Parts: sequence; structure tokens; C-alpha cells
Amino acid sequence: MFRVLTVDDSRAVRTIVRKQITEMGYEPFEAEDGEQGLVRLAETPVDLVLLDVTMPVLDGLGMLERMRAKGIKTPVIMLTSESKRSIVAGAMRLGLDDYILKPFKPEELRVKMEKVLGTAAPAPSAAAPSGLDAMEAVMFTPAAPPAPVAKPASTAAAAQGADVLLIDDMENVGVRLRALAPPHVKIQWVATSPAALVAAREHHYRVILVDNELGGVELPVLVRQLRMLQPEAVLVALPLHSPTDISKDLRAVGFDDLLYKPFNANSVSDFLFKYFDNQVVLACEENIFKAGGFSGREEKLAGYYSKLLELFQDALKKAASACYDEVILDLSLAPPRQERLPRALIFCEEQSKASGIHLKLVGTPDHRRLLAGFAETKALAMFDSIQEARQGT
Amino acid sequence: MSAATSAAEAEAAKIGGWIEGVLLKRLADDKLVLPTIPSVALKCAKLLRVAETNVKTIAAVIETDAVLTARVFRAAAINGVSTSTPGSNDLNLVETLTALGDKELRKLLMDATAQLSASEKVYVSKDPQIAASLRRIWEHAVMVSILARDLAMLAGARSSETAALGGLLHDIGKPVVAAMLLEAERQLIEVQLQKKFVDAQVWISVVNRLNRKVGLALAERWQLPPAVIRCVSDCSEFDNADRASHLNPIVLANALAKKSGMVAGPVDSDDVNALLMIGKSMLGFSDDTLTKLSADVKKRVAPLFD
Repeated sequence: MFRVLTVDDSRAVRTIVRKQITEMGYEPFEAEDGEQGLVRLAETPVDLVLLDVTMPVLDGLGMLERMRAKGIKTPVIMLTSESKRSIVAGAMRLGLDDYILKPFKPEELRVKMEKVLGTAAPAPSAAAPSGLDAMEAVMFTPAAPPAPVAKPASTAAAAQGADVLLIDDMENVGVRLRALAPPHVKIQWVATSPAALVAAREHHYRVILVDNELGGVELPVLVRQLRMLQPEAVLVALPLHSPTDISKDLRAVGFDDLLYKPFNANSVSDFLFKYFDNQVVLACEENIFKAGGFSGREEKLAGYYSKLLELFQDALKKAASACYDEVILDLSLAPPRQERLPRALIFCEEQSKASGIHLKLVGTPDHRRLLAGFAETKALAMFDSIQEARQGT
Repeated sequence: MSAATSAAEAEAAKIGGWIEGVLLKRLADDKLVLPTIPSVALKCAKLLRVAETNVKTIAAVIETDAVLTARVFRAAAINGVSTSTPGSNDLNLVETLTALGDKELRKLLMDATAQLSASEKVYVSKDPQIAASLRRIWEHAVMVSILARDLAMLAGARSSETAALGGLLHDIGKPVVAAMLLEAERQLIEVQLQKKFVDAQVWISVVNRLNRKVGLALAERWQLPPAVIRCVSDCSEFDNADRASHLNPIVLANALAKKSGMVAGPVDSDDVNALLMIGKSMLGFSDDTLTKLSADVKKRVAPLFD
């Protein structure tokens, strides 16, 4: 367990920091001034010091100087309301690791502590240079790779984070989209680019819809800024239907896709299916597979079942590799549509048998009635819950 | 300090004293003529050839040159035209140009264009190191302007345009001093047939030494907006009392530009790193965001000069 010493003359600050250190699973230590801080360090070596600057008896810079003079190389993060360049530069010369300006957000403290202690989750491109010290390397990289486009996640957890940021100065656009989209798709509407940038700094979005004629906005600048803040998001322009094809121009600006206004049920359904609905088709945990819901147009139902079968095959292989001799497929949320479901289950049953795995189904009375109407599926075992399926034979 | 450095500093002090005297006298007599950088003057000439040009297009050209932008604010002061968005204190170049009107706008562009042949001569040094420094001075101002606008928008600061214009003009003394030094170089080499004017080290030392004083004198004489004067006066500390101040994105942008090497002359890396550390925490940026922003801006600035 990492030990963190907070040196600050404010009891309130020490209390807030202690709470966060404890929540992070670290062991907190405290001192009221630099002198006391040095005594604590002599008693108990710590892994990190959070150090205020202005304190009675011995200030933060004095303590840091004496720590280094004694050969104590413990990492130090300055946690202060002091923002004078010369003071921070002086602390950096003494080996300051990072700096947090009060008042601070708990998230900043967490991120910086994790970074200094080396407990931060590895970045996606761990091998690439990062941070300001690597700035020169990045700047002289001849061609930066194109910004990544969000890929549909395949887990229920990813779907829970599904979110749309809608940037449009016409309120009715937000009202219309909300009315056409299912409740599980969270939509945040903002009317201006500054509000959009604030939202993009504070939340993660899967899709960002942008009115490409937003008043008083340099579109390429806004797109670039959104891309910078949300590198994983899909950026979708909201042009008006027009006889001239402007898709090329909008893609050149940096958009990944287009959704034409005015929306209608079909276009929104297609859009949602493309970026959301296929992400909850099948969630898998060990040998329990749960089919997701479907809220799109009927024409898209074939795509839903096709995706379900594709994911089922992959999941089945993994279950077989892990030596499971049975799998439970929970269909409670799957649409009980004529023919599509029975056909899909015949395929699932065949695949399971071929893999030497026993397939158990969980579903609703509607599902049961539907399967009972077909000779090939009426004998399939269907339970009311996963628990029953686990116990049943 | 080595003997060579001491000698260079002494020479810079001597030349600086002379240049300062001439510049301040010209400024006081309203006889300071500042050429627009050739690439921008050429763009102004192109704009004049188009019968009807959008004010936004003209603003986009003007905001790539600190001297030309300062001239716009000077014209606004002379004509009693507001430099802000109506109902706010936020600077706005498009609004200012619109308020100045077509006639004044064309006059500004024609002035910039008329100096084209002169500026092609004036903004050139025979010394490649001085020429490179001159380019760096111009690029630094534009880079700080673009970065300050981006940072202000991303940080949710009050006015990104004030940050951009303040960033563009924060070192306005540098091109003024540089133009004067280049004029002196031309005189000595072309008229008095001397082989060399000064070393590049001395040249940049004079520019940096006089930047703040000359910049402030010009800002006050030309009645530049108070938000700009504040940036010219001091761009080396954050405003901790008002975190949403337009100054803060500029201070961070200035440090970022210096960190990325887009600056003329020596840089105190401890100071720059300290400012980056403070600015990141104050405005809530990650290293990654700043790195991406800087890399992006460098690519956008480089082609503007040629």
C-alpha cells in the first residue's frame, strides 16, 4: 500500500485530501508545516508528499530543499494556491514532480497522484512518446495518423456509456431527436460551440452531432477542437437536404458521417442502429449470453439477428475453449418476431451440438409461444430465469 | 558569463540605447512607419483586386500580422470606432473592420500593399541567422494567437477572440524593433558599404531587451485596446485572482510556443516548464491535449509565412 504524506497548515485541506487518499486505497499521513513534515518523513518513509507552499514555521520550498539536501528523493506534488512562476520554477529545480493549483478538483488530484506513483492505467499507445517533454518528437512527426473513429463496442458495459452530444442552435432539433430516439440513448443538447466544448471537456460521448451551419462558428476550428477533446467519438454533420452533394466537403472538414435534417423516424433509426443498437446485441459473461433489445426499423431486424448469430458463434468458441459443457442464452430482451427468432435458434442449437455444448434458453411466455409453433423449435428447453436454467436439466 | 557574451551584451546595450531613442522619437512625432510582412502584404494586394470581399476573409488575413492588426486598432481609435462586440468588452476584429467601413478598410489594405516593394526590402536581412530570427518573431506571434484562441475556447474562458488578438500583439515591440534594426542594417550595408551590421546574437538581444518598453510605448501612443495593453505590459504571470481572464490562455500559449521552439532567442526552460505546470492545472489541460494542440498549430503556422 502506498503511503502519502500531506503537508498543509489547513485542516480542511488535509481532511479533504485524506479522504481521497483513503478512497484510493493509499495510507494517509499528515503534517501541519514543513518542520513537522520532515519529522514525519524521518519516522516513516512515504511514497509521495503533497506539499503546500505557504506555511508557518517552515514553508514548502524550505522543506523540499531540506529533503533534497538530506538525500530524500521522495516524489513531491505541490498543492498550493501559489501561482508565481519563479516559486514554481524554484521548486522544479529542487525536483518537483507535479503541481496542483487550489482550489482543485478531486479528479485532478487522483490523476496526478496515480501518474507520479505509476499506478495510472497504461495509455492506449504506451510505446509512443507522451507528455510535454516529448512535444518536440510529436511536432516533427511528418504525418499524424488520422483521428480514430469510434468502433462499436460489443459489451453491455460499453453500451451503458452510449451518449450523444447534439450541437445545434435550434432547440426543436433536440426535441425532435429526443422524440425519435429510444430512452436508453442518452442525448445532451447544447446550442453554442462554447457550451459544446465545455461538455466535451467534461464527458465522453460516442457520437457528436454538429449543425454544420452553426451561427458565428468556424466549422473546421470547432471540428478540430472536438476531435482533440473527443478522439474516440464519431463526428456527424447535420446538413439540410440539398440537391448538391456536400458530403465530400463536410468529410474534408473532418466529419465521419452525415445525418440529414429534418430527421424522420427512418433516418434516426438507421443512425442509431449504426452507432448504438448493434452494440448491445449480445453481452457475454463466461457461459451466460444475454441478447440485447432491438428498437430499430423492421428492415433492420435481419441485421440484428445476423449480428446476434455472429456474436453467438464467437462466444460459443470461447465457452468451449474454457471447457464449459453448457451455455445459457437469455433471450428475454430479444424481439419475438415470427420466423426470425426460431430460425436463429435452430442455428444456435446446431452450432452448440457441433461444439459438444448443451444449449439452454431463457425467455418470456411470448418467446415460448413462438417457439412452440414450429416443429424444429418446440422441443427446445426454455426457462423463465437464468437461475432456473442453471438448476434445470 | 563568458567574455564573448559580456561583449555581446555590452554591444546590445549600446545599439539598444540608440534604437530606443530613434523609435520613441519617431513614435512621439507620429513618424513611425511599419511595413507589413511581405507574404501578408501580397495577400492584401490580392484582396484589393477582388471587387467584393467578405470582411471575415479580410480579417483572416489581417490577423496573421501583428503590425497590421495594430494598425486596425489605431484606425479604430482615430475614427472613434469600437473594437468590441456590441454590449461587451470582448475584442472582435470582424466587428471592428465592419465598423470602420469599406473606405477605411480599403485604405488599410492599400497602405499595406503600397509598402509591398518597401517591405520586401525592409523585411529582409543579409544575415541568414537574423532572417531566421525575424521569421521566428512573426511565427511566434501567430502561433500564440492561434493557441490562445484554442485554449480559451477549450477552457471556457470569457472571450477567445480577445485572447487571440492579445496573443497576436503581446510582443508587438519585437517587430517594431526588428524593422528598425533592419533599416539600420540596410543603411550601413547599402549606403555606407559596410560588410556586416551586427551578430545575430546581438540583434536578437536588442529585440528582446527593447520589446516590452517599445511595445508599451506604441500601444499607448496608438491607443490600442486596454485588453491588448495588458498583454503587452506583462505576459509572464497568470492572473490567479481571475482565472477566466483572457490573459491566462495567452500566458499558457506563450509558454507552449516557447516549449515547442517557436521563438527567437534564448529561453529559460525552468520558467517555461513552471508556466506550463501552473497553466495546465489552472485551466485544466492534460499533457496530451497541449501536445496535440501545439503540433497542430505548428503545421498551420508554417505555410503562412511563405
